Amino acid sequence: MIKFTRFSLDNGLRIIVHEDRSTPLVAMNILYIAGSRDEDPDHTGLAHLFEHLMFGGSVNIPEYDIPLQLAGGENNAFTNNDITGYYLTVPSENIETGFWLESDRMLELNFSQENLDIQKNVVIEEFKQRYLNQPYGDAMLKLRPLAYKVHPYRWPTIGMDISHIEKTDLSQVKDFFFTHYAPNNAIITLTGRITPALAYDLSVKWFGPIDKRAVNKRELPVEPAQTEERILSLEKDVSSNALYKAWHVGPRTGENFHTVDLITDILAGGESGRLYTKLVREKNLFNEINAYTTADIDPGLVVITGKLMKGIDPLFADKAINEVINNLKNRAVGVYELNKVKNKFESSMVLSNTSVLNKAMSLSYYELLGDADIINNEIDFYKAVTTEMILETAQKYLIPSNCSTLFYNSTRND
Amino acid sequence: MNKLQRIQPPLLPVETGLIPEARICFLRNKIPVYLIKAGTEDITRMEFVFRAGQIKEYLPLLSSTTNMMLTEGSQNYSSEELNQKFDYYGSQINLSSEKDCAGFTVYFLGKHIKKILELSREVLFRPVFPHKEFNILTRKRIQWYRLHRERVQNLAMDKFFESVFGKHHPYGKQIVEGDFETITPELLMDFHSKYYRPENMAVIVSGRIHKNMIDFIDSCLGDLNPQKIYIEDSKSYLQGGKTKKIKIQKPGAVQSAIRIGSTTINKRHPHYPGLKVLNSVLGGYFGSRLMKNIREEKGYTYGIYSSLSSFDLSGFKVISTEAGKKNSQKTIDEIYKEIRLLQTRPVKKEELSVVKNYMSGEMVRMFDGPFALAESFKAVWEFGLDNAYYYRLAEKIKSIDPDEIIELAQTYYNIDELYEIIAG
Repeated sequence: MIKFTRFSLDNGLRIIVHEDRSTPLVAMNILYIAGSRDEDPDHTGLAHLFEHLMFGGSVNIPEYDIPLQLAGGENNAFTNNDITGYYLTVPSENIETGFWLESDRMLELNFSQENLDIQKNVVIEEFKQRYLNQPYGDAMLKLRPLAYKVHPYRWPTIGMDISHIEKTDLSQVKDFFFTHYAPNNAIITLTGRITPALAYDLSVKWFGPIDKRAVNKRELPVEPAQTEERILSLEKDVSSNALYKAWHVGPRTGENFHTVDLITDILAGGESGRLYTKLVREKNLFNEINAYTTADIDPGLVVITGKLMKGIDPLFADKAINEVINNLKNRAVGVYELNKVKNKFESSMVLSNTSVLNKAMSLSYYELLGDADIINNEIDFYKAVTTEMILETAQKYLIPSNCSTLFYNSTRND
Repeated sequence: MNKLQRIQPPLLPVETGLIPEARICFLRNKIPVYLIKAGTEDITRMEFVFRAGQIKEYLPLLSSTTNMMLTEGSQNYSSEELNQKFDYYGSQINLSSEKDCAGFTVYFLGKHIKKILELSREVLFRPVFPHKEFNILTRKRIQWYRLHRERVQNLAMDKFFESVFGKHHPYGKQIVEGDFETITPELLMDFHSKYYRPENMAVIVSGRIHKNMIDFIDSCLGDLNPQKIYIEDSKSYLQGGKTKKIKIQKPGAVQSAIRIGSTTINKRHPHYPGLKVLNSVLGGYFGSRLMKNIREEKGYTYGIYSSLSSFDLSGFKVISTEAGKKNSQKTIDEIYKEIRLLQTRPVKKEELSVVKNYMSGEMVRMFDGPFALAESFKAVWEFGLDNAYYYRLAEKIKSIDPDEIIELAQTYYNIDELYEIIAG
């Protein structure tokens, strides 16, 4: 049971505190409700580039990192489709430094052309290192626009293309800040060695004076239902063939999210998942195979990715995946197997809660989903999933007309 | 708005404090069990460590393959059954084989301890190395290997180890595809019977420690028979290659991977804590000189780091980065420039205090929570050291001055001795 206190300031900032005196540290997580889905299709990658700029100094503090390091702290950040998360851990005696730093960059950044130019270069190198200079690194850049035709999930967080990053200018950056970075568009969580009373006082002191801002109203195009199977084949200079499949599913807060999540665990959770057992161990068609749900706030995807063994025909391998899927749709999953994936979820939740930082990130995210207390009762939603629900949900979503398949083929004949 | 005077809050000194000690118990057969009680959740991490790393190999891949085959079938369970059971009890398992040690770590909820111990014994002491699973694993690994060799980072790092430790030593030997053909299940059985032995192992338990945990472990592993068997360790010498600068071409690469470094002292050496501080200044944290100069000021790379690692018989330091091809020579020049600066000009007080405070905070994080404690414990235990090492490090972080940093940079970063590997 994770106990927490929750309050909000007049400017709309929401704050959650979970005191854990088993650690000498405090973790602070700030979730901004801004992600790559909030980008203009002609300027993708901006949310992530912006995350980099958040470390270039703020209105009263020339550099973010040095004071935090002097306080014995450490920090990082991430951007995804839906949110941008900033987090730090610091020995509890210096937590006020965290408030000072984070509130100042929420107040206003030090926007400089020089910093923008450097971070554009850094992000372009990141684009190359993680997506272009890696075998299969661009697969999701190809699969997303196959699955999504209008919704912004059709581009990845890094951006659709390097040229989008190159042409970003300072006015776009400023505009993004004032329309997305606001106390009324953020959730802060503090976990570890801090009392709710101290957290409240420090929040009022440092974040209280920041004015509410007019946050862009999100009006995203709704992805129309897919009506026929989509297939894309690519030829690339990689060592072996790979296969990517995606099916549309509901949103993270939808009624069958937990069922969908367990379905992907039945398919590929751990070494005993069905895809691994059938297609890697038994038939030796794949070298590795995985399945997951993207768990996005707007309707997301179930994705299967697999790397084929040498000499295996991709169409044959695809057929073998479909057989495993059909089996899930035709025959109810046994109680033992269902309990297995539920047990696995339970322990992964407990494992995640052993870290103050994970707890802070989870609490912020659950609050965004509607209630931080989901951290304590989400397990019940998983426990309530029945074999019938698995069957129905698989039949509903895992159908060919809802599926996009990317054949990522090797041009080599060795 | 903003009536608040935004004055920086006072900074308080960060203290490492007392590091929790592991309690040691021995099973009937003298297997040592280290217990580290910590954390708020009913979850336990149990690590079984064996002196069965690459250093014991008389053929490449023996250590890693033996380790990876542990969960692929035992006397009482098939591969499928083993994996299914570990999953059913919600556990998370990690197999690992490194340069010196190899083993198995399992995370589980308290209520499943008996089952998990039974399964662990199967995996560790009753593996059967079935041919079918072995063949599947080998075929998978050949493909992984080919993929591994596609990445410039790996091409550079493999060559780095070979250059620094020598191509015949287990620390330096590069795998070639043909190595996969020479391994057989019989060789794995032989390796297993020599090195996965009760007299050659320890158990490190952390997290929630239930009252009768040690009795459970004893009833599961205490009856294994230790015996002194004579094994002749292979005689291979650490000897770096003659060529210091190596370029590996990789057509089509858009970035070059750069690795610059050499062997160095390990944790047992009295200068090691000071070298840790020097490493941080150079490239050991986000505010380091390399990161500031080459990423934050020049934008040549997404990241650049220097690190210091210890092995039983040696250690190494390495600076690693990937940079766009047109900037790779400029990046290398800047790396040497930064090293020379550290050898000639004293680090300013302000910068040194950032490093000191950052490292003190790092030390707090190293002992935060049950799993971090277990990892920190193992990291010194492996070298026959104990928490005294960490207290020495904490002391050195506080006391080191700019002169000592110059001295260390001159002694340990002789540019003529550094290997420089570029792939891409």
